[in-house]
Amino acid sequence: MRYLKLYGYFLTQRFKILMEYRVNFIIGAASTIVLQAAGLLTIWVVMSQIPSLNGWTLNELLLIYGLLTLAKSINHMFADNLWTFGWDYVRSGMFDRFLVRPIDPLFHLLADRFCHDGIGNFLVGAALLVTAWVGLAIPVTLLNLAYVVVAVLSGGLIFIALNLITAVSAFWILNSIAVTSVIFNTHEFAKYPLAIYPQAVGVLLTWLVPYGFASFYPASFLLGRDSSLIVWLAPVVAAVLMLLAYRFWRFGLRHYAGTGS
Amino acid sequence: MSVLNTLRRRAGVYGAIAAMVPKGFLAYSLWVWVELFTQVLSMAIMSFFWRAVYAGAGGGLIGGLTLQQTLNYVLLAQVLAPMVESRFIFHMGWMLREGQIAVDLARPVDMQARYGAENLAELLTDLTIKAPLLLVAWLLFGLQLPSNPLTWGAFFVALLLGRVVFFCFNWMFASLAFYTTETWGLSVLYEGVAKFFSGALLPLAILPGWLQTVADVLPFAQMLYVPVALLSGITPLSEAPRVWLIQLAWLVGTAVVSRYAFNFGLRKVTVQGG
Repeated sequence: MRYLKLYGYFLTQRFKILMEYRVNFIIGAASTIVLQAAGLLTIWVVMSQIPSLNGWTLNELLLIYGLLTLAKSINHMFADNLWTFGWDYVRSGMFDRFLVRPIDPLFHLLADRFCHDGIGNFLVGAALLVTAWVGLAIPVTLLNLAYVVVAVLSGGLIFIALNLITAVSAFWILNSIAVTSVIFNTHEFAKYPLAIYPQAVGVLLTWLVPYGFASFYPASFLLGRDSSLIVWLAPVVAAVLMLLAYRFWRFGLRHYAGTGS
Repeated sequence: MSVLNTLRRRAGVYGAIAAMVPKGFLAYSLWVWVELFTQVLSMAIMSFFWRAVYAGAGGGLIGGLTLQQTLNYVLLAQVLAPMVESRFIFHMGWMLREGQIAVDLARPVDMQARYGAENLAELLTDLTIKAPLLLVAWLLFGLQLPSNPLTWGAFFVALLLGRVVFFCFNWMFASLAFYTTETWGLSVLYEGVAKFFSGALLPLAILPGWLQTVADVLPFAQMLYVPVALLSGITPLSEAPRVWLIQLAWLVGTAVVSRYAFNFGLRKVTVQGG
């Protein structure tokens, strides 16, 4: 509760800074939309040539893409600092300041910078989800709505947890961005139905880097394509992964000796 | 005794030379490796994606292209795509903001020519670093490269011409930095448009008519689509001279306009001393 209030303070301060440069704020928030447009235009062009991709129509693909983009945007808005943790916080010694303050250093790190560039991603994801939802006439039931909210939040947590695990490497090698990129980039597989890949890729995206729970599995549930246990696992996977990530973070923290002056 | 000494010295020299190889590898920053890994990942996704697309089309043609042509194209385009990413306008904005441009202008060489020379050297370095990706694409993802050396020659000429067009167009676009400070937003917009219309994501032959028209009036296709289409067998070798002529026309046009735009914008610049 105290942390919620604190986050509010951090957010207000951040927005005060951002509002000093209004045009930059809008451009930053819109920039991701432009980059998304190129990828979406490609899917649209390709799908206008064929009836379906492995049995998935254009709207169904957009549903997958939209869910993934929403999950990614949560990570982008609230945990973007994990990317530059090694470079901007550990190397500069700024992180040492967090350690002497009376709040959890991880919370401090995440709250330190809300990233407005993620807003564009969020809007694109939401627009895609709504478009696909309406186009596919998915019933608007309480269950479906609750499911989507939980799925997107779980997906977001999966993104954050994996970035946290890789960011912890900064305690040893400083330049953690490289490690984070390698794992993060595997999410690109989850933009399409996992069924188009060899089974090994599907297993990888389900159990090792479980981005599949942020896109493919919830989409399968909403479309009534899959009603097995796996479509309900996203919150469990997210919770377990988050726990692991936090434990690893604590482990890294214990071994952190500072970078010196 | 002296033979032994000579031998030892020889061994020392060659040992030092051999030791340079791993050092050379380590000198590649971590980033080069990350980018190579990401590109392999993208190639994997693209090859599975396009195979599924062609399976959906019942094994027929898409946009007049066979599966093999499309695979060749997207794999090669993926290897070369990072070379058509440019945030030069952002750099120009930075140079203007920091006054750095004064240093560049004061040098006794033409500023554009200097950057142009650097740009071409960059192309050659990139090609060398990316070459192993061709092997990966051939081994893992079914890339088929032409055996005719003339096709390779045609490709390299087109790539070189396209690169110069790209450089000149970047230069021209970057001249906007004299008039606005929003260079970050412009560079992101530019990147998005360039990515799609250069053909980094799909062969432009697949685009519907109206989008193809847009792609034709923009210079981005000259940098990536045109050379890669030659190498992947989409454009037949006999078309090469015609392709080069079109590229030359683009080159002359963008070169002239870029010089004029830059010199025109330059009149607005005041760099304060300090």
